[in-house]
Amino acid sequence: MEKKFKREIESLEKISHFVGEFLKSHSLDNALSFSINLIVEELFTNMVKYNKESGEDVEISLSKEGKKLIIRLTDFDVEPFDVTKRGEVNVNRPLTERKAGGLGIHLVKRMVDQIDYDYSDRKSTITLIKMLEE
Amino acid sequence: MLHIRFGENGEVHLTGRFDASQVDKATEEFEKITASCTLNFAELEYISSAGLGVLLMTQRRLNDSGQSLKIVNLNKNIRDVFRYAGFDKVFEIA
Repeated sequence: MEKKFKREIESLEKISHFVGEFLKSHSLDNALSFSINLIVEELFTNMVKYNKESGEDVEISLSKEGKKLIIRLTDFDVEPFDVTKRGEVNVNRPLTERKAGGLGIHLVKRMVDQIDYDYSDRKSTITLIKMLEE
Repeated sequence: MLHIRFGENGEVHLTGRFDASQVDKATEEFEKITASCTLNFAELEYISSAGLGVLLMTQRRLNDSGQSLKIVNLNKNIRDVFRYAGFDKVFEIA
């Protein structure tokens, strides 16, 4: 299932409902709700923060193919922003050297099995695959 | 939606979802914390990096005056996120 959401932080509540509907429609364990919400929120909020020039909505697609859960976010009329090339965060730094930003993509990478990025016709597409446990 | 309640015993109780839409409200509430205290996450269902950022900035501010936050009753998902973010090394967790 797929749906477009307004490019604003306030969309997160609607996105969370959308994730809930998807889990219900596929009879998936509600335990997945946390990780799917986090993955989608981190990528969506990045698009809201960094692609302000676009007036287009962001499309979110959730699907299941066998044991694969596929999450896709499509951002229209934007400059390229390849999340797969973002540097790793050193999470072992002491408190005084830690910054609030930069953790989102790091967390997403810990929660999925594969991330692909595609950019064409001013359109960014991030596709993430999470393997479902038996 | 996130609810923050300051308990009589000095504990701060968080309830609901701490996502990016709650950062402004949470930052305002967390600025009221000026001494070491315990954050009780028993009713907190969800936190993203935006919420972690508010916790980190509060811990840094308190740390400057020798104070700190302790966090208790984290659910499994939040405990995992803390570990992935290395927050288990900058917060006392019980």
